[in-house]
Amino acid sequence: MLSFTLKRIAQLIPVFIGATLLVYFLVFATPGDPIAALSGGKPMTPATEAALRAQYNLDQPFWIQYGLYLKNLVTFDLGMSFSGQPVADLLGRAFPVTARLAILALLIEGVFGIIFGVIAGMRKGKFFDSTILVASLIVIAVPTFVLGFVLQFVIGVKLEWAKPTVSGAATWSELILPAMVLGLVSLAYVIRLTRTSVIENKSADYVRTATAKGLSRNRVVRVHVLRNSLIPVVTFLGADLGSLMGGAIVTEGIFNVPGVGNLLYRAILKGETPTVVAVVGVLVIVFVLANLIVDMLYALLDPRIRYA
Amino acid sequence: MRFSHASKAVALSAALALTLSACGGGSSETPEGSGDAQAGDTSYIVSANTTEPQNGLLPANTNEVGGGRVMDLIFTGLVSYTADGKTQNELAESIETTDSQNYTIKIKSGQTFSDGSPVTAASFVDAWNFGAAAKNAQLNAYFFESIKGYDKVSAEKATEDKMEGLKVVDDTTFTVELSQPESDFPLRLGYTAFMPLPEAAFEDPKAFGEKPVGNGPYTLAEWNHDVNLKLDVNESYDGPRKAQNGGIDFKVYQSTDSAYQDLISGNLDVLDQVPPSQLASYQSDLGDRSVNSPYAGNATITIPGYLDHFKQGEEGNLRRAAISQAIDRQLIIDKVYQGGKVIAKDFTAPVIDGYSDSIPGSEVLTFNAEAAKKAWADADAISKWDADAELSIGYNVDGAGNKEYVEAVVNQLKNNLGINAVAKPYSSFKELREQVTERKMTGGFRTGWQADYPSLYNFLGALYGTGAGSNDGDYSNKEFDAKLKEGLAATDPAAGAEIFNQAQEILMKDLPAIPLWYQAVQGGWSENVSNVEFGWNGVPLYNEITGK
Repeated sequence: MLSFTLKRIAQLIPVFIGATLLVYFLVFATPGDPIAALSGGKPMTPATEAALRAQYNLDQPFWIQYGLYLKNLVTFDLGMSFSGQPVADLLGRAFPVTARLAILALLIEGVFGIIFGVIAGMRKGKFFDSTILVASLIVIAVPTFVLGFVLQFVIGVKLEWAKPTVSGAATWSELILPAMVLGLVSLAYVIRLTRTSVIENKSADYVRTATAKGLSRNRVVRVHVLRNSLIPVVTFLGADLGSLMGGAIVTEGIFNVPGVGNLLYRAILKGETPTVVAVVGVLVIVFVLANLIVDMLYALLDPRIRYA
Repeated sequence: MRFSHASKAVALSAALALTLSACGGGSSETPEGSGDAQAGDTSYIVSANTTEPQNGLLPANTNEVGGGRVMDLIFTGLVSYTADGKTQNELAESIETTDSQNYTIKIKSGQTFSDGSPVTAASFVDAWNFGAAAKNAQLNAYFFESIKGYDKVSAEKATEDKMEGLKVVDDTTFTVELSQPESDFPLRLGYTAFMPLPEAAFEDPKAFGEKPVGNGPYTLAEWNHDVNLKLDVNESYDGPRKAQNGGIDFKVYQSTDSAYQDLISGNLDVLDQVPPSQLASYQSDLGDRSVNSPYAGNATITIPGYLDHFKQGEEGNLRRAAISQAIDRQLIIDKVYQGGKVIAKDFTAPVIDGYSDSIPGSEVLTFNAEAAKKAWADADAISKWDADAELSIGYNVDGAGNKEYVEAVVNQLKNNLGINAVAKPYSSFKELREQVTERKMTGGFRTGWQADYPSLYNFLGALYGTGAGSNDGDYSNKEFDAKLKEGLAATDPAAGAEIFNQAQEILMKDLPAIPLWYQAVQGGWSENVSNVEFGWNGVPLYNEITGK
């Protein structure tokens, strides 16, 4: 298990370098001149322009730019944003907020998704099952920004149960509403995945054996059905963590959450390469680690899976 | 301050994160203001929306609204602007000149920065020299170009860092020599770039930009990046813009949509930009707590003179006149902006002193499909426009509302001129500006201007003067340049304005840009505050706002 884990973590290095190179190149290749945008279309003296280009290495060819970036990276210098702030500071502010948001969303979709999914699966074809199926279909069909605006308006403005936007501290309790919006679509998928998986395992031999042995229904469902049904669900949740962190742009925008999604969006528009690469780099690490955890959970869930 | 990214006023490239802080909105914990209720609660802390300042807060490096509105509150210059764009003396005791070229400026004595250090003549001279010097790479450096000796300090790799046109006479007096007479120089002195700096600023400008020490009606107490900027009242400030509230809490919003939700739920006091999605309903939502007032900005379309068929001269001018007359501006204003703009009648804006809505030749800005067709046909007689040729109008999709109005314009060109006009999207502002500055545009494109200071010249010189920094269409007309120079040399701004309007007559014939409409600010405020007024540049006069 240990050597497996180490091997997987070692894989991070080539994945990370490959991803940053690719992203660096993509930002480099997008059309547009960041310095022209910085001046806002106003005149700029040639001296100012030249100084700014030199400051961000924009006067260098691609390989030198990337080389300089890597060189600084080794000393944990992530570069500067166009506003003159260290990118590390930007990340340090935005990532904890987004991490809280993503974890909350993951909890919401994991806990409620599995509970609803198991109930629906065990009562296949009954009223609860049909209701859940229809409801989840609606949630999947409605775009996130519609859900977001509606929930914000109803809960934040009309009922005043919560403030419509999140404060600078972005505390756990403030993030519940945004996390619900963010997690809702995945919640629908988790329900459907769990349900299908439960239905399949319900008629498996070992479940029949367990029932025949006289085990309580509770224990049969929890230990024999659920545990074996979780593998596809855990795979989905693991992959989803990364998407929740990187793909929360819409939700963050609606609730004014100072997170990674908007940091990335703005950096791309401005052509601020160091920020884009740093954000994507961290997201890559999150993805890889989440997958590693998923793989280790397999072994816990299914004793037949072993890692040498 | 700069080209608007979005067609809507002050939307900037960066909208940033976050917000609501604990002490915002409805939580005025202060007791009833002593004295009369009319005056409102002057200890109330007002919350207002903003975008994250794009750079450290240094006067010569702040060229956008997010930083500009804060700078104007924590600093004060020689003059400031009233709501209707008039200048009023702040630190200046007098600004005297006899020839519009040599100015003697006396400042009030006994003024201090909020850290206690004195504001002297040197505070101005050093700050301006710092702003102009090449080695400091300040975005607003070109604002000092009129001052004698600017060329030497601003050249690439310049070693000199003091402009010879600036001389300190004594603690409260300095002289400014310009390289040519410019009558509107005193009008510029209220712009952010011309603010004074304390000596401490020059030791470590970068650190100073994070924690600026100014001399304005407020001090910057806290700046939580991407979250908020908290302003406290500066008790030592003694000028015309004294704070009528207990401080301002600027909340950084990523989108005006979320700010609007906070406004209508009472979690935000002042919003200076209603989102496009709410334009149809904000007046019924807010009633008398909303405003729709014009400010010093306009939207234009530039069809550059380097395009075939659009070169400066008879054919190009006819075609531009045809395009201008083919656009039914009022229809677009009503449909796209719910009436929230005002038809343009000149190249400047109505809140500026000297503005005229009846400049000879301005009928070319009025919708007239017949005249448009005729002008286009006349141009065809000179050189035939290929019926299949495409005329594109470029816009950047990252600005809210751009697509809607550019497509409306394009449709009208199609219908009224019968040409193959298309709206050409650019993925970002930086892409559009790159193509524009490299002169690679293959068609027209959206442009616009927001005044830095209230003067006709600010709208004309930088945009249409030969070789000027923002002359995106490469327009050049000797007659026009001469008029500009003449207007600048006038002994007083009023006489200058008259000449600038004569210069505009030339623009009406050449149409280096096609004016569409003047910008207007759509804003609103909560039930917690009163006395909210918007200034000549569309920015609220924050210092006058009181609690209820």
